Amino acid sequence: MDFVRFSTDAWGQRVLEGISWDLLPVAIGLGALVIVVHAIYRAVRKRRAS
Amino acid sequence: MPDTSPTLAAERVQRHAAVDRVFHWIVALAVLTLLATGLLPVAGVKFSWVTIHWITGVVLALAVVFHLIRATFWQRLRCVWIGLKDLRNALAHRRAAKYSLAQKLMHNGMTGVILTLVITGLCMLAKVETPWWKRNPYFFAADTWGVVYVLHGAAALLTVTLVMIHVYFALLPEKRVYLRAMWRGWDTPSEFAVYHDPARWPGSGGERR
Repeated sequence: MDFVRFSTDAWGQRVLEGISWDLLPVAIGLGALVIVVHAIYRAVRKRRAS
Repeated sequence: MPDTSPTLAAERVQRHAAVDRVFHWIVALAVLTLLATGLLPVAGVKFSWVTIHWITGVVLALAVVFHLIRATFWQRLRCVWIGLKDLRNALAHRRAAKYSLAQKLMHNGMTGVILTLVITGLCMLAKVETPWWKRNPYFFAADTWGVVYVLHGAAALLTVTLVMIHVYFALLPEKRVYLRAMWRGWDTPSEFAVYHDPARWPGSGGERR
């Protein structure tokens, strides 16, 4: 997976274009991972407390 | 209709002034609009997004400048500063001052990504045709534009992650007191007693160290 995108300009040179949009699912997945891990931690704590 | 009787009002602990709540919800609306207009085209949803994106970006930039001035000169920046005491208190499960360690981490993370988005976004306005100036794609060299785009895109992706986490915690039943405080401004004394250390935050204004 690439972290950045490149393109070629009119002179054939490689130009930095921006962040790789392949990382969008990674960003969403990271958010979902934090939520799931915390939800599990919260459920375990609640069960132990009761 | 909110009850504003003197008795009930006296029993409430003011957490957020109206101006700060308005700022929060303007930023929330602007960030969601910017994420939608910036990232939906990436996901394949094609529409004319540039105008609404840059206008919302300018609104966000103005809100951020307002908040920076207000936080620096009218509020206490130490309220969001993370010190060793915050780490010790969090590890010992002690009550927080005005903001918990998690809230400070979220605020400071959001500050970092939103400042990056605003600064790089303002640079990118040079490439947009507006009623006030002609677009100038040669304002920066090609390599510099690349760095600006990478920073803007990386900050946008981090914003997606942070917004997801922020909304999740705001909707948790035990954290809804904070959501209500951000909507209506106050905590009840019993909520205050559960979540806050009165020695470090007396219940209005900034916190003590």
